[in-house]
This record gives sequence, C-alpha cells and structure tokens, in this order.
Amino acid sequence: MANVIEVKNLTKEYKELRAVDDLSFEVRQGEILGLLGPNGSGKSTTINCILSLLNFQKGEIQIFGQEMKPDAYSIKRDIGVVFQDVAVFEELTVYENLNYFCGLYVQDKETRETYIDEAIALVGLEEFRKFRPKKLSGGLLRRLNIACGIAHKPRLIFLDEPTVAVDPQSRNNILDGIKMLRDRGATIVYTTHYMEEVEMICDRVMILDKGKVLAQGSCDELKKLAKIEEKVTVEVAKLQEAILEKIRALKHVEEVKYEDGVLSVVYRAGTNNLVKLIDFLETEAISYSKIYSERPTLNDVFLELTGKELRD
Amino acid sequence: MTVFKAFLKVLNQCKGTVILYSVILIVFGALNMQTNDNSTNFVASRPDVLVINHDEEKGITKELISYLKKNTEFIKVEDSEEARNDALFYRDVNYIVYIPRDYRADVLAGKNPEIEIKSTGDYQSYYAQLLLERYMKTTRNYVDICRAEDGSVDETALLEQVKSTLKKETAVETTSKLDADKLGRLSRYFNFMNYGLLAGAIFTICMVLASFNKEVIRRRILISSMKRRTHNRLLLLSNALFAVFLWAAYTVIGFILCGTEFFATKQGIAYMANSFVFMFCAVTIAFLLANLIQNKEALNGIINVIALGSCFLCGAFVPVEYLPDGVLAAAHILPSYWYIQNNETVKTIETWNFETVKPLLVNMGVILAFSVAFIILANLLSGRKRENA
Amino acid sequence: MFVHNFQYMFKVLMRNRMLIFWTFAFPLILGTFFNMAFSNIESSEKFDVIDIAVVDNEEFNNNVNLKNALAALGDSKSKEQMFDIQYVTEAKAKKLLEEDKIAGYLLFQGEKQKIVVAESGINETIFKSVVEEITQTVDVVNAVAQNEIKQQMEEGNLQGMDAATAEKIGREVLERVQGQEVSIKNISRKNLSYTMIEFYTLIAMTCLYGGIIGMTAMNQNLANMSSNGKRVAMTPSNKGTVVLSSVCAGYVIQLIGIVLLFLYTIFIIKVDYGKELPFIVLLALVGCLAGLSMGIAIGALVKAGEGAKIGIIIAVTMLGCFLSGMMGITMKYVIDKNVPLVNQLNPAGMITDGFYSLYYYGAGSRYLFDVISLLIFSAVLLLLSFGNLRRVKYDSI
Repeated sequence: MANVIEVKNLTKEYKELRAVDDLSFEVRQGEILGLLGPNGSGKSTTINCILSLLNFQKGEIQIFGQEMKPDAYSIKRDIGVVFQDVAVFEELTVYENLNYFCGLYVQDKETRETYIDEAIALVGLEEFRKFRPKKLSGGLLRRLNIACGIAHKPRLIFLDEPTVAVDPQSRNNILDGIKMLRDRGATIVYTTHYMEEVEMICDRVMILDKGKVLAQGSCDELKKLAKIEEKVTVEVAKLQEAILEKIRALKHVEEVKYEDGVLSVVYRAGTNNLVKLIDFLETEAISYSKIYSERPTLNDVFLELTGKELRD
Repeated sequence: MTVFKAFLKVLNQCKGTVILYSVILIVFGALNMQTNDNSTNFVASRPDVLVINHDEEKGITKELISYLKKNTEFIKVEDSEEARNDALFYRDVNYIVYIPRDYRADVLAGKNPEIEIKSTGDYQSYYAQLLLERYMKTTRNYVDICRAEDGSVDETALLEQVKSTLKKETAVETTSKLDADKLGRLSRYFNFMNYGLLAGAIFTICMVLASFNKEVIRRRILISSMKRRTHNRLLLLSNALFAVFLWAAYTVIGFILCGTEFFATKQGIAYMANSFVFMFCAVTIAFLLANLIQNKEALNGIINVIALGSCFLCGAFVPVEYLPDGVLAAAHILPSYWYIQNNETVKTIETWNFETVKPLLVNMGVILAFSVAFIILANLLSGRKRENA
Repeated sequence: MFVHNFQYMFKVLMRNRMLIFWTFAFPLILGTFFNMAFSNIESSEKFDVIDIAVVDNEEFNNNVNLKNALAALGDSKSKEQMFDIQYVTEAKAKKLLEEDKIAGYLLFQGEKQKIVVAESGINETIFKSVVEEITQTVDVVNAVAQNEIKQQMEEGNLQGMDAATAEKIGREVLERVQGQEVSIKNISRKNLSYTMIEFYTLIAMTCLYGGIIGMTAMNQNLANMSSNGKRVAMTPSNKGTVVLSSVCAGYVIQLIGIVLLFLYTIFIIKVDYGKELPFIVLLALVGCLAGLSMGIAIGALVKAGEGAKIGIIIAVTMLGCFLSGMMGITMKYVIDKNVPLVNQLNPAGMITDGFYSLYYYGAGSRYLFDVISLLIFSAVLLLLSFGNLRRVKYDSI
C-alpha cells in the first residue's frame, strides 16, 4: 500500500515551546489513522503543518507523493478538512454554506449539486437544507461542519476532533459516516481524545505527546504495550492486612489495593489468574460476592504512556 | 470586593471607548476656550471684519479703516482669497471689505467709488454694513461743503467734520451684569458633557453589564452562594462609583478649561449638581439598556443613536436657541433636554434666591423622575426574564 | 472562482444585520437628526426685524426728525423695515424688557436720549447704531444746511433769507442727505450655507464605516483571522482572487449604502452638493475606497477579535468626524486654520473638505488635492496591509 502522507523530521517551535519535535510518520492509503494525545500534545499543530497553514522550522511533508505547499492546488483539490471549530457562515443556510465551500473546489454547477446532495445525505441533514446554523443543535452543526469539509469528495480527509460536545446518537451517526467514507476509498486522519471512538473506527493509532510519537500500531498492538495483563476486582466484606500481604506474594501480582470493601489485584502476566485468586480466597476462607476480570483498555495504555497528571 | 474586581477587569476592556469620548470632550473644551465662536456666541456685539485695502492708507481711507477698527473686531486671516472665503464660510469673519485703489482720490473728486464686500448675510454682517454705509455717506455728504472754489478739497477739514459727526453716540444702559461670555463657555462645555456622559458612561456600563448578563454567566451567578440582590447591588455600586469618577474627571476638566474662577461660585455648584444628577440618570439608562438587550453589537448601535440623538435634539451640539420649536417640544421626552435647559438657565440667573433656583430644582426633579422610571422598568424586565429562564 | 466567491460574500454581508445597521441605517438616522437640529440655524441667523419700544413722552414727540425717521424704519409695509416699534410708557417698556419681549427701549430725558437694554448683544448694538445714525444724520443736515445758508448769504441772497427759506433749504438738504447714495457691491460666493458641512461629515462617516464591511468580508478569508478562513485556505483557490473578490463585494455594498444616503439627503433632506455630479460621484468612490482601505488595514494588521476591530473602526471614524466638524462645524475651521496637517491626515477631514470645496469653490485644485490625498491615504494603507495579506503560511493561527 502506498503512503498518502509522509512526514519526515517535522519540527515546529512557538516562541518558547516546541510543539512538534522531530516528528516522522506516514499515513497509508485507505486507512483511518487515529491521532491520540492529551490537550496541547501537538495534534492540531501537526495537522496544520501538514496542511501548510503553519510555518515550521524543519521537516519535509509529502502528500500523494508531492511536496505540500500553500499553492499546491492539485493536492488541495483532493484534501478535505474538518476543523475543530465549526467553520460555517452564520448568514448562510445549510445548503448555501455547502454550495459556497464546495464551489471553491468544483466549478461545474451540476456536479456540484449532486456532490452537495450526497454530502447532505451522508450526514443526514436532508430536512435542514434551508436552516441557518443558529437554528441547528450542536450535533447537527457538527454534521454540517463535516459535510462542508467532505462535500467535494476528497481522497484524503482530516478530521480534527469532529465530535466534541456531540450527543451519543449524533456521534454514532458521524462515526458511521466516517467509516463509510473510508469504505468508499478515502484515507482519513482522525484526531480525538475519545478512546472508544478510536477503538471503534481506527485501523491504526498513533499516540502523541509533547510533539513526539509515543507509540503507534493497531488498537490491539497498542494494548499489548501495557505493562499490565489483567486486573481482577473482588468485593470482599472484610480483609486483614496479613491476607493482603499474602496476595502480594502470589505469582505475577503487580499491585494490590483494598478500599471500601473492594479488592483489586493487578497482574503483570500469567494465565488463569482469576481462578488462582478464587482458589486462594477459598483456602483462606474469605467470603466474597462479585468478582470479575478486565483486560487492559486503550485508556490504560494512554494514561500509562502520557502520564496521569492533569493537562491545560 | 470580588464583584468590584471583576467589574474593573471587564471595564479595562472598554478603556479605548472611554478614552475616545474623554479626548473628544477635552478637545472640545480646549477649542471652546480659545475660539470666539460666532456660530454659537450670538451675543458678540462687534462683528468680525476683514479689511483688504488696495488704496494708500491715507486721509479718508485711513479714517475708514480706523472707524471700522474701532467698532468691529479685526480678524487675522492668511493672506489669500481662499483663506478669506473659508473664513467667511465658517463665520470666522462676518464681513469682508475690499477698499479699491484710488478710493480716496475718487471720493475727493466727488465720484461715487464702488466698494466690494463679502458678507455672511447674518446680523453681524448687517451691522458691519451699516457702519460702512454710514461712513461712506457721511464723507460724501461733507465732501461738497469742504470743496474750495478751485474744486480742491480740504481733507483735514473734511475729516474733522466726519469725525465730529460720527462721534455723536447714544448713551446705553445695560441692566444685566453677568459675564455672559465666560459663563456661556462653561455652559456650552457642560452641554457638551451630555455627549461624554451618555456615550462614554452608558457604553462602558452597558458593556460591563452585558458581560455579566450573558446567559451562561447570569445563570452561574444565580446559582452562586451570593444572593442575586446582593450581587446586583454590588454591581450597581461599582457602576455608580465608575460613573462618579467619570463625572468628577469631566467636571474638573471643564473648570480647568473654561474658568477655574467659577469653581466655588453658585453657578459652578449649580452646573456640578445638575451634571451629577444627569450622570445618575445616565447610569440608570445604561442599566435599562443592558437589561433590554444582550447583544453587544446591537447595544453599541443603540447607544450611539441615543447619545447622538439626545445631543442633537436637545441642544448639546447646536445651541438651544437655534433649534426649531417642534424639535424642542419633542425633546421634552429626553432627560438631556432638562439637563441642558438647566445649564442654559444657570447662565442667566442674576439673583440667587429660592424663586430663581426653583426652575433648576424642578428640572433636576424631572431628571430624577426619569431615572426612577428607568430603574423600575429595568427591574420589571430583569424580573420577567428570570421567570422565563 | 471570483464570481462565485463574490456572490456568496455579497449574500453573507447583506444578511449581517449589524453591518447593515452601521452602514445603511445609522447614517440615515443621523442625517435625520441633523436635519431636525439644523433646519433653523441659518434662517434664524438671517437678519430679521428687531423688536424695540420707544417711551412715548413729550420730549420724544418734540423731536420731529427722530420721530419721523423711526416711524419710517418701523413701517411694516416698507421693504426697509428694521424695527417693530411699540410706543409705550416707561413702566411698560421696562416690563417688556424684563420679559425679554424687546431688545431694548429708547428713552428721552430732556435733551438727552438713552437706550436701555438688558445685555449687550447684536440686536442691541444695531438698535443703538440706528438711533445714532439718525442723530448723526441730523448733525450732517445741520452742518450742510448752515454751509448752504452761509454760501447763499455770501452770494448776496441775504435779503431773501427768512425763516421760510431757511426751512426750505433745510428740507432740501435733508432730502439730499437722506438720498445720498453709496455703492457697495456684494461679491460673496453663493453657497454660504455652512450647515452643509454636517451632511458632508455624514457622508465621510458612512464612507469610513464602510470599512467594517470590507474588513468583515476579508476576515472570512484569512486563515489567521477566522475558522472559515482556514477552510478557505485549504481550498484549491488562489488566495489573492478570493480576498480581492470579497473586498470587492464589500466595496459594492458600501457604494449601495452611499447611494442610499445620497438619495435620502438630496431628495428628502435637500442637501446641496454643488452642481458637478461626476465630481461628486468620483469623491464618493474615492471616499469609500479610503474607508475600505482603512478596514483592510485594520483587518490585516491588528490582531484582535472582530468585535474589537469594529470598535477600532468606529472609534477612528468618530474621532475623524469630530475633527472635521460633525459635533460642531467650527471645529473643522479651527483645525484647518491652526493645525491643517491634522485634517490632511484625517480621512474624514479629506472627504468633508472635498465636498466642501466642490460646494463652495467648484471642482478646482483644492477638490483635486483632497481626492489625491484620499488616494494616497488608501494606497499607503493598502501597501502596509499587503505584506500581511500576501502571507499564506502563518507562525501561529
């Protein structure tokens, strides 16, 4: 598979801050690449650099095998961008907004009309063609924002947190739409910090922080990066400190906690950990109610990689 | 204190506008001080005249110039016809006299030389023309009786005759004893302050209140532990403090520019009291507007219309005596009308007793009544809004 | 591309209610205020009959010359009428003066006459002057008549010099003196109506406010100013074309606003812009261009929110209009006379002065100077903005 985007050694510095630090990666044809990272990790800056909106100190960027420049119109024609902020005209209706932005790509009126109809259908705004943005709810507005970015049928689509502040119904609708775009052959770069979205739609994920790639791969590959293998949670009425010590001594156990009647045991590795724990509790004659085991989530991986301190 | 600090922070964002209106006011005050403003100063009894003499300044020509100089104000204007025309257009000069070459010789020869003039056509120029005509007639009347057998004229004798006639003046007794000129300036400054107070204070207060009134913030304040009433009262207090500060600054500037000697006089106190009451009214207008409209841009437009409208229709920019009766009648519905009427009244009061001060108090009462009405209206509106929220 | 963008920007701008208010409605409202406030100012300045009183006592009735002369000046049927005279008692005259019904009254006390006025004003001055003129005329008549009699006696006509002849001479001389003509020719320019300045400042204001339109339109296309601009920047359209067509859309709307204002002021308020229509149009075009350039410069060079930029444009415009006479016509003259540079740099001043020159002097060098100043003003601002506008990549957005 050919690479649609190739970024080599990209470095972007603001006055005192290095927002993107010697970043290199590529985006493959037909995939949905998820860009994950906490606020201020450099996701948007990276995208804006790729799009040639921002100056950067160092690096090479190629899209469709050509160097990306502000006046590389042939490349731009095939790119669609959905920005984080809703970028539409308050004064224009849904249809007019689409017609305006699409018109900057597609000169032919008839083609344009069919394109717009398709875009409206894709995001499900058929009933709102004549509405002004002010009258649209948050979810509908986001959908219009997306439609404006993709109406001209781009081969490469950037979506920068398109689902912020959107209710679950709209979100699912939007995510389905994105998958549909991929199925029609588009390559998609998707930034977000919603893990479940990434797990739902991304073929490949890249975790960014402080302008650097911390990890990349499919969701499953990333999960393997986690130091933990399994987390077992048991509800126990009473537990002595001595017992806890014994559990800590069990094989593969990484961490043991007992709080408010809930015992949680984190395992580094091993199989049948759950069964072994149940056996142990029974030999010690400790009664327990609920017990369940969890595999690590992307969230765990993310927090482990980027640290748990608060951002912003 | 928290409310006041927040108020100051929002206020800081509007400083540009406040500075703009203050600068306009100061420039106005300073120029008002320097110019002998004809378009407004209706009571100047010496018209502004410019004499362009193409003749030799001798004999009757010299006497004409000195006669005009004695009875009119000679204005200095750059020596070009365009500057003269400009001066005439803007009423810097009411009357321009062009004395032709050989004027003196022609008059002495018994001819009737033509003098060209330019005139604004107002009272002042009318008076200037009266003076010019009188001098020309008198010389022509006397020129024949001073003519000797050989036709030559004894110019010295002629001038003597002319002077002695023109010296005959009528005694005038003036009953008023006010320094109308200086008081007029101060009064004009305070009239103009109408604009600064309305545009500057209302704008700032509205912007601050609009920030506080924004739906999200309003709700946040409603659910905060501070009582809504307490919060409103604190906000009102902060605004009032700001307005008082603005008023004090404008007043001090006014006295500095237009006459410090009035500061502690009855007139000065009357101007201050009047403007203070009006400033209070401006705050209440701001409160009402901020309660009516949340959109900052719309507020900006409406404030401009209100401020400029009040100023033009009530006599802040155009002297009251020039306003058509219909406009003044309609202006009664604006607080500015009563404010400016008071300024105009202060200017004319000679003896200060209860009888003469009463109209001032009545007008201030009307302004206060307006303020109370605005407050009630604002409270009604904000109450209703809360129910709807 | 140009047409497409132009059409849509036109639509966007026309639907922006705030813009339409500031550029279309606000000037019309202000114009109406001006009209109401100034409709009287010049007519009340024109010379009108002055109300006076004369104390009708014995001394006055004995002074035939003065009585007759005053009667002539107070004749309401005469074109030369100067006074509206009431003949009253002294007490009544005092009362009239207190009530501000008359400018003053004339009182004879024995040989002397006295004018009583409330304050010194131009009406009072004219009153005094006319009374003086009457006594001075009497003085002239006496002097000339005496001279006449003396001459007649020298010529030996002494015998015939009885009272009747003397009176006849006196009457002749009086007629001659009163009929003495002098020629004064008024060469003032027409179009002396200075309140026109107010309306010219209004045009200036509208031209400059129009900058808000261009600024708004342009900001929609700049990636560093708006999110719409980022979207536009990602399209395969030439930035220059897009910005230019947006600005053109703004300019056209500005012109529509100006045309509306002209129609309103010419046909409803009856403002006189002079006779030379092409030059009026040229000045309006150039004035709007200056406003547009100001909008572009503030849009391109000031990094602030759109609201703040609009605030700046309004503030600059208001200050400019104040200096060119909007809040007091004398302001323009005082500035022009003492610090001419200020109004030569002030776009509102240039526009106002241009219309003034056109009205008062016709299309001459001064008008041309104003037009050229406006063009230079626009060119400088556009050049300054150009560097910023040309940029397609930003350090931060």
